[in-house]
Amino acid sequence: MEFPAALFPSFFTAGPPREEGGPAPVAGWGEHGQVLEAGPGRRQAQPAFVPRRGAPGERWEAAEAAAVPVLLPRAGCWIPSPAPQDILYRSGLCRKLQAGKCGATLDFAKQLGHFFVDHPEDAFGSLGRLLHKNFYLGNAKLKRPARNSTIRMTALVEDIDRLEARRGCPRQHLASRLRWFSHLCRDWLFEVPLGLLADCLHEELAQHWSSLLFDDSLTGGALAWLPPQDGGTPVGRLVHPGGQAMNHLYFQDVVLEELPHTQGLPAQFELSGCIRQVAAARVDGQDFVGVRSDYHCGVWRVPGKTGAAPTPLQVIRTDVPASCLTVSPHLPGELSVCTQSGTVYLWSVETGLQQLRHDPQTMFFRDHSPWRWSDFTAHPRVLSCADRTGLQCLDARAPKRCHFDLFKVGEEAGCQQGERVVLPMYLGRAHPSQYLVTTQFSMYVLDERLPLVPVLKWAHMMKAPPLFAHLMPGKPGRNHKVVLGASRTQELLLLQYRDSFWGVSSGGSQSACQLAGTPQKLHSIAGSLQHLPTQLPHRHHLLQQRLSAPAAGLAATLQENGPHKSMLIFQLSEAGDVFCQRLFHKATQPPAPPSRDEATTAPVPSPAAVLRYRRWLRALSRAWKEPPQHTWPPSLSQRRLFTRRDLEEPAGPSSLQKQMRQRLRQTMQEGGRVQRWEPLALQPPPLPQTLELAGGPDPLSNRLTAAWAGDWDQWWEERTSFSVAQRQRALRERRRRQKRARGRRSLPASFTSSLTYQSELSELSDAGPSLLSPGRPPVLSQEGSPPAGSPPVRSHPPSPAPDEALLSSQSLRCRGIPKERRKTLRDYLSVWAEGPPEPPELPGSQASQLCFPSSQSQLSSASQPLRKRPRMGF
Amino acid sequence: SSNEHKLNFKKSKEACLSYIQDALLQKQWKRAAEFLTCYVESLEKDYSREHIGPSEMIWRIGTEIFWHHSQRRMKEFSCFMEQMKTLGVKRYLKVCLEHVFHLLYNGQIDEAYQNLSLAESWRFGEQTAIQDKEIKLIQAYRGLLDYCSWSKQKKILLEHGEDGFADLTVEQEMHGYFRKAAVNLKEIIKIPGVWDVFVKCYVDLLEFYGEHNEARQVLNDYAYNSKFPANPNAHVYLYQFLKRQGESKKSLISALKILHDIVPSHELMIDFNTMLQKSKKRKKRQLGLEVIFAALDYAGWKENAKAWSRLARQVKQIVISEKHLDWIKKEWNSRKDWWPDFHFSRYLAKRNWQENKSLSYEKALVAGILLGKDCKYFKYVSHQGCKVRLKRFRMLKKFVTRHNPVYLRISG
Repeated sequence: MEFPAALFPSFFTAGPPREEGGPAPVAGWGEHGQVLEAGPGRRQAQPAFVPRRGAPGERWEAAEAAAVPVLLPRAGCWIPSPAPQDILYRSGLCRKLQAGKCGATLDFAKQLGHFFVDHPEDAFGSLGRLLHKNFYLGNAKLKRPARNSTIRMTALVEDIDRLEARRGCPRQHLASRLRWFSHLCRDWLFEVPLGLLADCLHEELAQHWSSLLFDDSLTGGALAWLPPQDGGTPVGRLVHPGGQAMNHLYFQDVVLEELPHTQGLPAQFELSGCIRQVAAARVDGQDFVGVRSDYHCGVWRVPGKTGAAPTPLQVIRTDVPASCLTVSPHLPGELSVCTQSGTVYLWSVETGLQQLRHDPQTMFFRDHSPWRWSDFTAHPRVLSCADRTGLQCLDARAPKRCHFDLFKVGEEAGCQQGERVVLPMYLGRAHPSQYLVTTQFSMYVLDERLPLVPVLKWAHMMKAPPLFAHLMPGKPGRNHKVVLGASRTQELLLLQYRDSFWGVSSGGSQSACQLAGTPQKLHSIAGSLQHLPTQLPHRHHLLQQRLSAPAAGLAATLQENGPHKSMLIFQLSEAGDVFCQRLFHKATQPPAPPSRDEATTAPVPSPAAVLRYRRWLRALSRAWKEPPQHTWPPSLSQRRLFTRRDLEEPAGPSSLQKQMRQRLRQTMQEGGRVQRWEPLALQPPPLPQTLELAGGPDPLSNRLTAAWAGDWDQWWEERTSFSVAQRQRALRERRRRQKRARGRRSLPASFTSSLTYQSELSELSDAGPSLLSPGRPPVLSQEGSPPAGSPPVRSHPPSPAPDEALLSSQSLRCRGIPKERRKTLRDYLSVWAEGPPEPPELPGSQASQLCFPSSQSQLSSASQPLRKRPRMGF
Repeated sequence: SSNEHKLNFKKSKEACLSYIQDALLQKQWKRAAEFLTCYVESLEKDYSREHIGPSEMIWRIGTEIFWHHSQRRMKEFSCFMEQMKTLGVKRYLKVCLEHVFHLLYNGQIDEAYQNLSLAESWRFGEQTAIQDKEIKLIQAYRGLLDYCSWSKQKKILLEHGEDGFADLTVEQEMHGYFRKAAVNLKEIIKIPGVWDVFVKCYVDLLEFYGEHNEARQVLNDYAYNSKFPANPNAHVYLYQFLKRQGESKKSLISALKILHDIVPSHELMIDFNTMLQKSKKRKKRQLGLEVIFAALDYAGWKENAKAWSRLARQVKQIVISEKHLDWIKKEWNSRKDWWPDFHFSRYLAKRNWQENKSLSYEKALVAGILLGKDCKYFKYVSHQGCKVRLKRFRMLKKFVTRHNPVYLRISG
């Protein structure tokens, strides 16, 4: 592609942005920006000028009054994520305080109260049980001998109620009884030390709040469209997440007719994490689909033939959440991965991972966000990496030496103060060296041959930052189309730009980039509410809530049917709904008569769309009618975990069992451990030596040992007297580890920089490829050899996938197991899973695989045999 | 209650703005215009401290509506713009500039010139940094229009000159334009920025009057001043100028070498390669090979038949002479792990064969030498070529088979 013979004039200043910024609602209108003398126009009598913005664009008109659902809602209830009113403190007093701009106040006390009421067992379990004799809950007066050792709780509760009634009153005084009680018990009553619990809760709330304000984990979007192959039938494929926890990946064939409709059952994969991003690129006629969840990234290959099954190729695991996954448009099976610790990898299915950069600091100035992004450029060996402050390109062959700055948030690009990069995207399909960068205020088009100076800049005026973008390249001489999408507000904006206005045929060379036509707002999912049949008020409310769920992805495609050109735009919501809309291209006409506006689309949807709405609503109400699982009391039936045979009481201990028991007892007396069960013939694979044993047995084994020896009482004594300080320390340590693993969003910048992240992906694999069964995608290891200290050969048989899937948070949540019990269950199962040789039987509901029995839980099973304990990182 | 009234007014202002925005984004110009007439009231109580105040909003929205809705009634638009200019002192120059852009876009060059002259003479207190830039741009565009008039006069003069008729007034007028244009253009190109159009015009003026040294100085500054962005065009202009001046090969090569360093994928790399190839020095020829390899690394060059034929020819020469195989080896070393998938896959062999036979011929030659006769690309293309009995494909097959040991030496 040739470089434009002349660029639009612009000033160039280096340094931080000077212009004071802020959201500007109309900043994108009414400006030409610059003009440029057009064409080889020396022959003309007068020079002709073209503007950077404001030249007429193509006319695209919506075919329908609103977006139409493509997929029917699946069974299972969508649980909306918390809304601001759930976690913010609301009272008259606070509102007054807020008027003084003190920001949002998190309703921390309410949440803590909820925890105590909803999970008393976890909050006060052990002491509650020990002391329950000393608390009296009745109304009657206490008698003399009992009064010495019993507290009457009714009075306390009354006091609390009174306090609640006076909430917000500036003159509220604590009742002395309450103060006395809290003073007395604060230090020992709680299972988890109160200060620590409060710390953790507050942190969690703050995190929820910040993700409510701006959730960047969705950047890039979780929807991909694999267009039909050239000359084939108009059947494309939609790749989208689904399921209650958005942890199912679907490849759904979609027929592109007037209203696109699905064809056949989708290929389905269950993953062990919520899908955040789905990226796709077509190389050599094959589609490569990258899928990112927080701690796993996977890649699928979809062969070019219609109806060919997608095959999973490889999975990687990260210790720190991944923030980006892009697929190379140049080379098959190449991807780039970024994690929140500031590491960028080039990931090749054939050769593995190559670390290109590791820098927890941001590039151009300090910014606290751990978000990183990376994409490909015109050179297959040069990758761009981005953080909130800008973009750099680096050569994968010498990443330390060869790099250049592509975009800086600064005066170079005429940025505003406070402007931050939101989404970079390689525009290679339209122009091999162009790049799109969106910020919360503007969109920029950059040419990597002229770094730092945007060839196009426009204030997009969107209410929420555009997290999604989709490019539809135009044929030579035609406009390229870009759709920008925001998450929270579901906004969709269609833009047109072109990079040649003289046309290649007229002998002119490439010309500078121009924005053509006016930006156009597209239908959002929420907009279809008014066209759905009227519902009962509460249903209407639920429907409204569902339809206005934040958008989670965007895909689009151009369709040419002879002279008729149309554009299809798909939008995915966090509830898993995919809606689409079609726009028709109107051939260039003389400017519309001034009396009439362009938007003359029918205010009512077409009969076909009405039918589609009806069917969608019917399916949705069916899904609602199913008893939502999470309202059942949380219980765990053993029956679902063990087969009947497992639970069956044996008629009497067999001789083998007797022998074993004896041996067990003996070993325990000796303080040793059972290394190998005899007879050997029954148990060929030796149990792997777990590292936990070296550091002392875990609490459960302790307890079991004590119980076995008959001195369980003593153990309990010891446990309860286990000093608070020690417990606090242990918990702090754990919390810190978790925090580190999660990568913090709200830490001040100075803090983030001081945190040293452990090398990620280290736990990926320490087993050689010999362990991998052919049916499973191989898992990559960062270093090829097993880490020192671990046994050289691990002949632990590959544990069955369901075991792992069972332990994933999502599947536990689906099962209605409350959060705090999941760990217990996991611990329980993990201990148990290491012991018995046989895999547990599948619970009935696990058989969710529809089409590909071998591909169930690909992600989790891949990393499974390599872990010391079958416990997931989240 | 006055406070409440103020709040309500603010609220209704915001609501009105969002209606306008909605209408604009849906191309409902008339609706937007109706709302805008209501929004004008917001000017009365403009207490806002936001960086875009109501007057600027009205200017922006109004302009946008005029562009699309008024059937380009320029008179009304100009009237609107005049009003907008008086609405805010700080924005006067910006609005002027935008007005001029619109006039230029619509071919009203003379009106644009008048507006520029007016804006240039505008003075109001101390100028902010932005206004300073705007006034510079206004002067530069005036210089550009002066240049346009100059070149028009030049054309007349040249045409009439052929008839043997020289008009003194035309020449004088033309000289006047030259002076006016030169002064303004010279100013803007001193400031760091992208001034392609202005630089081109200024150099054209200087060249016409024989001031080659100054032209060279200007172009050198534009290309090599480190305060300016790394604009490939600056180097292109310098190269073209040197070429026009009939400079030596050496200086042309050094100009293009710098362009190669900053943009290895520039289309001039073909010319650069040709020049280097003709050189007698070994080093230059090696650089030539490097340049063509580097260009073909880029996605935009993937199907550039010219570049492939250049590479094929050079590789063939080296193979036949059996000298400098290490050059190929050096280039191939950093590419052998990804070029096969990037350029020489079976899929591409099929597609290239279908779309462009001569491209697939050149590529097959390169693939055959670099990857041996068993490479997928070469095999497919030579097979297809032999099937349709094209002589050159048979020759190609023979050549590659004969020189197959070369591949082992390159990849070894």
